[in-house]
Amino acid sequence: MAIILVVDDEFGIGELLEALLQDDGHRVLTAMNGRHALERMAEARPDLVISDLMMPVMDGSVLLRAIRDHAEYKEIPFMLMCALPEASIADRVQGYDAFLRKPFKLAEMSGVVAELLKPRVPPEG
Amino acid sequence: MTDTPEAVDAPHNDRLSSGVAGLDTVLLGGFVKNGLYIIQGAPGAGKTILSNQICYRHAGLGGRALYVTLLSEQHERLLANLEQMSFFDAGKIAREIYYVSAFQLLERDGLAGLLTLLRREIVAHEAGVLVLDGLVAAEAYASTELELKKFVHELQTLASAADCTMFLLTSSGIGTDESALRPEHTMVDGIISLHDTEHGWRVERDVLVRKFRGSDHLRGRHALCITSDGIVVWPRTESLPLPAVRRPRDPAAPRLSTGVAGLDAMIGGGIPAGSSTVVLGPAGAGKTALGMQFMSGCTAEQPGLFLGFYETPERLMARAQGLAPALPALVARGAVLLKWYGDAEGLIDRVAHELLEAVRARGACRVVIDGLLGFKDMTVQPERIPHFYKALTDHLRELGVTSLCTAEVRDLTSLAAVAPSPLQRLSTVAENLILMRHVEQAGEQVGELRRFISVMKLRDSAFDPRLRSFTIGEGGIVLDDAGGGMAFVPDAAAPGT
Repeated sequence: MAIILVVDDEFGIGELLEALLQDDGHRVLTAMNGRHALERMAEARPDLVISDLMMPVMDGSVLLRAIRDHAEYKEIPFMLMCALPEASIADRVQGYDAFLRKPFKLAEMSGVVAELLKPRVPPEG
Repeated sequence: MTDTPEAVDAPHNDRLSSGVAGLDTVLLGGFVKNGLYIIQGAPGAGKTILSNQICYRHAGLGGRALYVTLLSEQHERLLANLEQMSFFDAGKIAREIYYVSAFQLLERDGLAGLLTLLRREIVAHEAGVLVLDGLVAAEAYASTELELKKFVHELQTLASAADCTMFLLTSSGIGTDESALRPEHTMVDGIISLHDTEHGWRVERDVLVRKFRGSDHLRGRHALCITSDGIVVWPRTESLPLPAVRRPRDPAAPRLSTGVAGLDAMIGGGIPAGSSTVVLGPAGAGKTALGMQFMSGCTAEQPGLFLGFYETPERLMARAQGLAPALPALVARGAVLLKWYGDAEGLIDRVAHELLEAVRARGACRVVIDGLLGFKDMTVQPERIPHFYKALTDHLRELGVTSLCTAEVRDLTSLAAVAPSPLQRLSTVAENLILMRHVEQAGEQVGELRRFISVMKLRDSAFDPRLRSFTIGEGGIVLDDAGGGMAFVPDAAAPGT
């Protein structure tokens, strides 16, 4: 079982992902923006962050930078979700591990989550 | 079996066919995939049949469907009723189509529990279509409007994520102001209303698409029938789209003989090809005879279609023996197709659809509609007739057809044969207008009725405006010598003026 943090301001997405990932046996934390997500991470360190890009207060790109700059969190896999195609945000957001365009498909989401939760092989040397 | 309409547009990749060709035409290709739709209507309006047709169509194309009932029909009753339908396939049940009852779970776990069940069942069965039959029961478990809206919103999110097109069946709001906005109406992608409306002693069904996000559609009401094939929809003829680039009018179009030499001489050799002609006149004036003579010009290469309401094909052929002797052989060889609609309570859009389909299938060049009043008598919306006629002739024209329609008017036994409404407006829509009437003779022949024919207008052409007397004998209509003509008086005789 992994701890997964789902960050989305849109009603329905968080609820759906929470239910889906719980069915897959994970513990799910939810947050409605980037700042809220950082507060939740202080309560429990997640094994994976799934975040929307466009949110009020703190958006997904700022959250991603905050995580990558944080000594304790920087290795946490980060999945970015956005209604725009990946190519149109590439110049604004870097450093995420996976991208899913909204509306995503459940099967696709489960597959990407499983891939991101695989133990990472440390780089040689 | 019913001759069901073929969809105007084949379903697109992003569309889900309803399994009802006429409804796919109304939706310009089908439902938008992964949308959330409400199908509403009073009990008996056809919601269950339509939604099952959607499921069986989807299963027939290799998909899977989930049909969830909430305090609606028991499954054994539902299936027993469906067994009567030609689209029903017991072999698909529990393989491609799953029937699930969720009311007990709704009672126990509320809307949240229902949503979890739907999500799990959709994923488990990989369902591309979900029908939730009994939204009224779900509404009862929402303590506030907001809760119901949240439920519908979460369903919509699930529809996108699960690649599933969803249909919520409800009789909610029926019997009150159906168009009044309900909380769930703002959330869904489309609302399909099924009606069963009384018109005096008659009851007619129709479908109306109230809302359809993400695509245009054919607005307004469209005739609907429930047959052994399930729901059949006949899109309103006036709403059917014409080609964006219309067939140009050719002032030098070839002339098609009317089959009456004297009349051809009055109109420059014949009726302009691709035009629409209305022949007005009282009963017995010779309109059907003219129609039959016009049909006699058909060949195997240029076939025709004769559509009538009052005379059976047998009776028509018996009359043709004397009036248009070539016609029976043309019918026997297939160069002319006879279509007869004797139903007092038929559907004009069905007739128009079948006519246009037959024209397309046969490549018909000439069409006679004998008795436009047949459409008026058939419909409960006579006010539609001028618009209907215009749309029908527009479609015929786009198909390259030269049409001749007869219409009965009162026999005033005078030159002023004034057409009754709505035919008055028909005469303004027709490109060519011919009047046939009886006139009482003066002088020594007083008391004798003579037949006269006159041309009131002819598309892009000059014509002989005089009244010409004629007789109907063996071989049909023969005009008397031109010397017997009388000057035409438009103000006195023109219908609609």
